[in-house]
Amino acid sequence: MYRGSASDLAPLAVALPIVMACVVLVVQRWASRRLADLLAMVAAVAALGLCVALVAAAKDGRVVTWSGGWEPRGGRSVGVVLVVDQLGAGFACLAAGLTCCALLYSWRYLETAHGHYHALMLLFLAGMIGFVLTGDLFNMFVFFELMGVSAFALAGLHIEEPDSVQGSLNFALINSFGAYLSLMGIGLLYARTGQLGFAQLGAKLAGHPADGLIVGAFVLVTIGFLVKAAMAPMHFWLADAHAVAPTPVCVLMSGVMVEMGVYALARVYLTVFATSIPAPVVQRTFLTMGLLTAAVGSLMCFAQRHLKRLLAYSTIAHVGLFLIGFALLRPDGLAGVALYVVGHAGVKGALFLLVGLLLDRFQTLDEGKLFGRVGGRHPACWMFLVAALALAGLPPSGPGLGKAITEEAASAAGYPWLSVVFVLVSAVTGAAVLRAGLRVFLGQGHRPGPIEPAHQIGAEPKKPETEHPLRRTPSTMLVAIGVLLAGSVVVGVVPALAQAVGHGAGFFGDQAGYVDQALFAVPATPVPASPATWWSRSGLLLGAASTVLAVIIAGISLHVGSPERGRFLSRMIAGFELVRRLHSGHIGDYVAWLIFGAAMLAALIGLPLLP
Amino acid sequence: MSRRARLLVFALGAAGLAVMFAFAVAGMPPFGTSEHPYRDLAVPAALQHRTANVVSSVNFDQRALDTLGEEVILLSSVIGTAALLRPTRRESRRPATRGGRVSDSTTLLSYLLLPVTVLIGLDVVVHGHLTPGGGFQGGVVLATAVHLLYLAGRYESLQRLRPLSWYVWTEGLSAASFAVLGLVGLALGSGFLANIAPLGSFQSLLSAGTVPILNIVTGAAVAGGGVVLLAQFFAQAIGTTQLPTRRSTS
Repeated sequence: MYRGSASDLAPLAVALPIVMACVVLVVQRWASRRLADLLAMVAAVAALGLCVALVAAAKDGRVVTWSGGWEPRGGRSVGVVLVVDQLGAGFACLAAGLTCCALLYSWRYLETAHGHYHALMLLFLAGMIGFVLTGDLFNMFVFFELMGVSAFALAGLHIEEPDSVQGSLNFALINSFGAYLSLMGIGLLYARTGQLGFAQLGAKLAGHPADGLIVGAFVLVTIGFLVKAAMAPMHFWLADAHAVAPTPVCVLMSGVMVEMGVYALARVYLTVFATSIPAPVVQRTFLTMGLLTAAVGSLMCFAQRHLKRLLAYSTIAHVGLFLIGFALLRPDGLAGVALYVVGHAGVKGALFLLVGLLLDRFQTLDEGKLFGRVGGRHPACWMFLVAALALAGLPPSGPGLGKAITEEAASAAGYPWLSVVFVLVSAVTGAAVLRAGLRVFLGQGHRPGPIEPAHQIGAEPKKPETEHPLRRTPSTMLVAIGVLLAGSVVVGVVPALAQAVGHGAGFFGDQAGYVDQALFAVPATPVPASPATWWSRSGLLLGAASTVLAVIIAGISLHVGSPERGRFLSRMIAGFELVRRLHSGHIGDYVAWLIFGAAMLAALIGLPLLP
Repeated sequence: MSRRARLLVFALGAAGLAVMFAFAVAGMPPFGTSEHPYRDLAVPAALQHRTANVVSSVNFDQRALDTLGEEVILLSSVIGTAALLRPTRRESRRPATRGGRVSDSTTLLSYLLLPVTVLIGLDVVVHGHLTPGGGFQGGVVLATAVHLLYLAGRYESLQRLRPLSWYVWTEGLSAASFAVLGLVGLALGSGFLANIAPLGSFQSLLSAGTVPILNIVTGAAVAGGGVVLLAQFFAQAIGTTQLPTRRSTS
């Protein structure tokens, strides 16, 4: 009879949301709206519980589950393996937790397309959980597609808005195109090795010097993930998708789906390619791409007045920072990024939900039209301002801690100047959000002029997301926002959490240990004590610095009118205008840039390795 | 971007990718060698579970987790399509008109082929563990069979034969049963999606354990999904009409 074991948790966490999605689909015809809400919430909470249990079970290494009972003999198996370490399980927790908050926010009030919304959200969750728990490249691709398909449909759910389909279509086409390239890369790897598991692939490629096939496979496989991660210049779809997507879906996309692209890059490189493609090449490549992404993201973020687009571009800027953190290829860098991702998810999720409240009440997302309309007495006001400061890295918030640890890892890796980048990016994105908050809630500064005529996808929503415009804010919505904000702060004030992440990051990068435990059931050897992952004095100072800088920038942009244009300034504005015009909403442009970005990546990795 | 700029960016990128791809393909092992690490594992594993069709064994036994994911992708796209194509408030259902003309021979042929196609579909699904085919292929054939009615010029009888909610339930329930079957394996201690049913005798209809069961479940899901998917597009193209809107300022 059934004897529960830790290795059953991983398949359960994937299967449970799938089964519940089917149940919701079947009962939605008779059931009331409330039952659909309840079933979806139960499923998400149960999945969260399973993922938390997985984190605990993976404390001393990894939880390995061979599906179908195809345990390997002599390191060989035909089956699919799930290999769960603490960072992977933590990511699954984040996905489940954000889904709970998103479902709480949509509870009762948000329009849900006859229960389709609930089923799709659960399938999205199942896809994300499977994606981070699997230890098999092809299986990862399957869950990648599941995640993609449900997200495309969710993003386009407001079919009454004319732009909704366009934004969702851009999202679907660009991401599918990236996924096809990934599939080609998987094919190349399979042709060489005849294997699909990370551990088997890693063992087969171990010590094999990088040749054309390995480089090509790495570039192609990662393109799909990097498109999902919105790395410049493959990031164009993200703002369009966020501009039209229902608010709870934005929370999941910005908070965890995009970051999963970075997770997959790290997982695939560290388990499969780490011994064949030299670390310095990968480091240089992703530092370059990360810097580019962060620069484009922050510039575009500051220039937005459509609030969802503003937040979307800030996500792109932060993805740039996450890529930089990965590029350090050090356990403390990974730990910093993981904490940053969690902290960022809470803050960004809360901000999206707050913006959603504005949409439901005033039917607009434009900073100018909302100017001073809410008033400072609404609880949303101070929540928004606190979240803006946390995004800028205010200690002791979660994003601040993640930023501090990543900065220190960068210094230890020999790039102390990266701290300047981190401070600037978080200050500029924080300032953009702060400026918007001060204008919308407190009516500070001058009112921005009417919307410029250039059309952007999703620029002018016409309907609230609720069935009727909201007179007052339902408490469920406020609780969801509060939970997200609190979660983000907890990351920065509970040392045990940061310690566990540091511990988990040590296992994440240990390729030999991964292979041994997955294929030969060798218990993981304890990793060397990770360097302290907690606030240091310089971290606190840099966090304070970026917060102060954010306040200064926001103040300047609010109170200083457009200055006399000197020659330097007008040139800069012209240059920036060029960047802004690239974000055209034209799908052909996006495809061209995707191909160009892929070629850039191929050149950055392939050229230094040419004999 | 202007058309020329777009082409330039694309051409530069495509050229770079082509060079990389050429290098990659040059590194592929030569075609037609006898070295196949996965085959050497998969064929004995299929025989061990008395599955004559090795492809089915890989899909529904050895790598059943992938197939579960794929089936759920199908489910997700069907739900997504239904959600995106749902009639908006500006559209209303309109009764199908008897527009167009269908020649008698087409009608006759469609009626004749309908039972044959259903039979072939069922055959392909049920023998998935023995001969080429299986749930995915047979399911598509079954979904196609129903739509021969449309070819015969009878959209109304198609609608009558197609109480859509039944197909939605079929799709949902069969996707759920795939996962639940997997969980049964877990509860019995053999592992998620393990082949837990009696294996029977090689090459007979009752063999290969859970492989035929999962094939049938998948066949039902794919058939249901295919019908629902096509129905959404039909409804959008034939069954609804856009109400004239007062074009406001938009």
